[in-house]
Amino acid sequence: MPSLLLEIGTEELPAAACREAEAQLPELARAHIGPAPSQLFVGPRRLALLIDDLPERTADEWVKGPPENLRDQAAAGFAKKHDVAVDELELRDGFLGVTVPGRELREVLPEQIDRIVRGFSFTKSMRWDESGIRFARPVRWVLAKLDAETIVGETSFGHRFTRGAVEIPTAAAYANVLRSADVEPVADERRRLIVEGLDAIGGWSDPGGKLAEVVHLVEKPIVLESRFDERFLQLPERVIVTTMQSHQRYFPIEGNRFALVANGGEPNVVAAGHTQVLEARLEDASFTFERDVAAGIDALADRLAAITFFAGAGSFAEKAERVAKLVERLGGGDASLEAARLAKADQASELVREFPELEGYIGAEYARLAGYPDAVTKAIEEQYLPDASRGPLPQTEPGKVLAAADKLDTLRVAFELGHKPSGSRDPYGLRRAAIGLVRLALEGGLTIDRELLPEELREFVEERLESLLDVPVEYVRAARASNAPDLGGVARRAEELYRERESPEFEGVYTAYDRAHRLAGKAQEEAAPQLDRGLLVEDAEKELAETLAKVAIDGNGDIKAALESGAELAPVMERFFDEVLVMAEDEAVRANRLRLLLDVRDTLGALGDFSQIPR
Amino acid sequence: MIIALERYWADYGCVLMQPYHTELAAGTMNPNTFLRCLGPKPWSVAYVEPVIRPLDGRYGENPFRFQHYFQYQVVLKPAPENVLDLYWASLDALGIDLRRHDMRLVEDDWEQPTLGAWGLGWEVWCDGMEITQWTYFQQLGGFDVELVPAEMTYGLERLAMFLQGKRTAFELEWAPGVTWGDVYLEAEREWSRYNFEEAPVEVLTGRFDEYEAECRHLLESGLPIPAYDQVLKCSHTFNLLDARGAISVTERAAYIGRVRKLARGVAGAYLGTQEEDAVAAA
Repeated sequence: MPSLLLEIGTEELPAAACREAEAQLPELARAHIGPAPSQLFVGPRRLALLIDDLPERTADEWVKGPPENLRDQAAAGFAKKHDVAVDELELRDGFLGVTVPGRELREVLPEQIDRIVRGFSFTKSMRWDESGIRFARPVRWVLAKLDAETIVGETSFGHRFTRGAVEIPTAAAYANVLRSADVEPVADERRRLIVEGLDAIGGWSDPGGKLAEVVHLVEKPIVLESRFDERFLQLPERVIVTTMQSHQRYFPIEGNRFALVANGGEPNVVAAGHTQVLEARLEDASFTFERDVAAGIDALADRLAAITFFAGAGSFAEKAERVAKLVERLGGGDASLEAARLAKADQASELVREFPELEGYIGAEYARLAGYPDAVTKAIEEQYLPDASRGPLPQTEPGKVLAAADKLDTLRVAFELGHKPSGSRDPYGLRRAAIGLVRLALEGGLTIDRELLPEELREFVEERLESLLDVPVEYVRAARASNAPDLGGVARRAEELYRERESPEFEGVYTAYDRAHRLAGKAQEEAAPQLDRGLLVEDAEKELAETLAKVAIDGNGDIKAALESGAELAPVMERFFDEVLVMAEDEAVRANRLRLLLDVRDTLGALGDFSQIPR
Repeated sequence: MIIALERYWADYGCVLMQPYHTELAAGTMNPNTFLRCLGPKPWSVAYVEPVIRPLDGRYGENPFRFQHYFQYQVVLKPAPENVLDLYWASLDALGIDLRRHDMRLVEDDWEQPTLGAWGLGWEVWCDGMEITQWTYFQQLGGFDVELVPAEMTYGLERLAMFLQGKRTAFELEWAPGVTWGDVYLEAEREWSRYNFEEAPVEVLTGRFDEYEAECRHLLESGLPIPAYDQVLKCSHTFNLLDARGAISVTERAAYIGRVRKLARGVAGAYLGTQEEDAVAAA
């Protein structure tokens, strides 16, 4: 059986589109041709696949029609639709139907291929002519070969500048013929060639993860090494690295060396050209850097009053003041206070305008050049951490405090202005900030008072605990209603409740809470505002009130002791319910008894809302 | 260099135009691109456009940033199938040997929110230097284009630096013995001062409102082409206010929205007159 080669020739596809196409090609082939491809070829100018042993005819297809018992009503219509006589219909498993014979492969391939070309779905797609096809970039040719026979199109094309049209003699020869036309069609092979070239130079790095993109920026990878002028080494290292990686897709080596991957040309000419471009960019960055340094970080901080932080939330200078106050509230020392004052200074720098992704880092560099101590510069550098939900936390104490204060301020301001995220819309990254804040409390060990969070924001932040803690959500919800004073305390409480869930003390507290809540929880309005000991009549209720008065639950204390103390209510409650009729005739007595039960619930409720926990 | 491009694209059949008469931040904003790319009529055009970007000025101190520089703009509507080959041949006409250099098309999707416009395309790299912005327009003024145009915007200073082997634009030889710096350096200094320090904020704010009102009035009068000039003036006034630091983040979005609304109105009105022409012709 013959092999099929299908090649879709395009103008240069973005790397992301190549990856999308790579993921979709096998399924498109299966859906429209049948067999899965044995090989894929994905690159900027061509998406191709090879299918081995394709049957010469497509399979016969059974089309199920009406059930046999509806023969009289429906058979004629069905038969007409399929262009057969009624008595030609076949009977299978109680249904009438027809066998549509398979078709000649050569006859169906052009339609199948057209459906594949139209079947891709790219995140960003475009139109370019009247065909109505949408693709990531224009499709300029399609070639399909069945062994040596050309089914669609005429030729393939080699390297854009060194070769023109290329005859593909047979489907199986595709890759090798292209290789001799300066094109490596297999993405993994291009990657291997690039890595091999980089390894031969040695010492390369790819902190920005550009390799995956570079694989799809070239058809014929040529790895070259070069050096930029040493005077640019005065620039902060990450400015150099970002210039190389984000802008030019180069791979930094130590010092002033770098590697680049070209798509052709004369190596010395190409390397010299790329080096000149890099130097021009570094020159531009140096110019900006020197102006910032000449001004100095303190002068930059003074300019913050003129820069808006957030519409409605004043300038960056005002933000810096608020953050400094929060740093104090969080118990930060002198280093974190100094860092808070300088933290946003780089927003006024020209270099951050050019390299917004280096905010924080650039400020830290400027503070270091101005002679500030490491504790301060480190904190400035770490203020945006963690910047991903699983990203690293600040390493230094001042860094942690500043990072928490910064996030707290952003969250408070955004919520105050009504920018609470809704659905997937979160333009200010508030979820990430909230997760960061919670992690700074949980993993960073910062004490972040819940008082610092206004109610709606507290809900939002504490909801993050539900996914961050390895505890069923019911226990987290229970703990959120406890009197734990800070975020870490809430988390500890959730974990403790979960750990203690099988203990007799927990059982006792749970039962007491549950019974009090069930009976009195819905009668809140009937209850007396305060317990009146004079109205206590029965011994059992007097005993309950006395025991309750002795129960001590410390919001931040030892859970065992608190549970033990609370559990003392269990037997007393038992007796109370045996001996006392809560819904007494006398309205005042009844209201007082309801109050007593609510007091039991609320006292135990300092440990958490047990009604959240199912039994 | 400009003469070589003019000759090449004239031979191809482009209408050669001269720069527009009011400040533009990009050759795309010239009505010969923005308006002519709307509607069903084919159109091929090439022209030099001096672009004015107040925010990019650096008092002539930075050899890579200017508030005034040149683009060479080519638009082919609809884009012919061999449009990329035509482009490469234009580089050949400039004397760039495509086999000696590392030529690359690197994804660069273009969006101009003030004009409600976007397209997909590339930056063209020559040994890592971006020498052209290449775009297939998809929407202009919020309307889908009927015939997809290809836009090629050559960065003339960059290309000249590459061809002359100069490290900065200031050193470019404009004519024998005359450099780019001789011609433009003092202007860069003075314009930067004007853009950043002297431009009168209140006057400009008032002017923006006036141009906006004038644009609306012209649209009501069925004159989309003069109305479009008001859009350009609004846009430039906004850029000046931005350079003066007179626009806060919130206001920014509002200003952009106002210009976009005008551009959309002009595009709609222009398409309307195109249809009338078509009906009249039929």
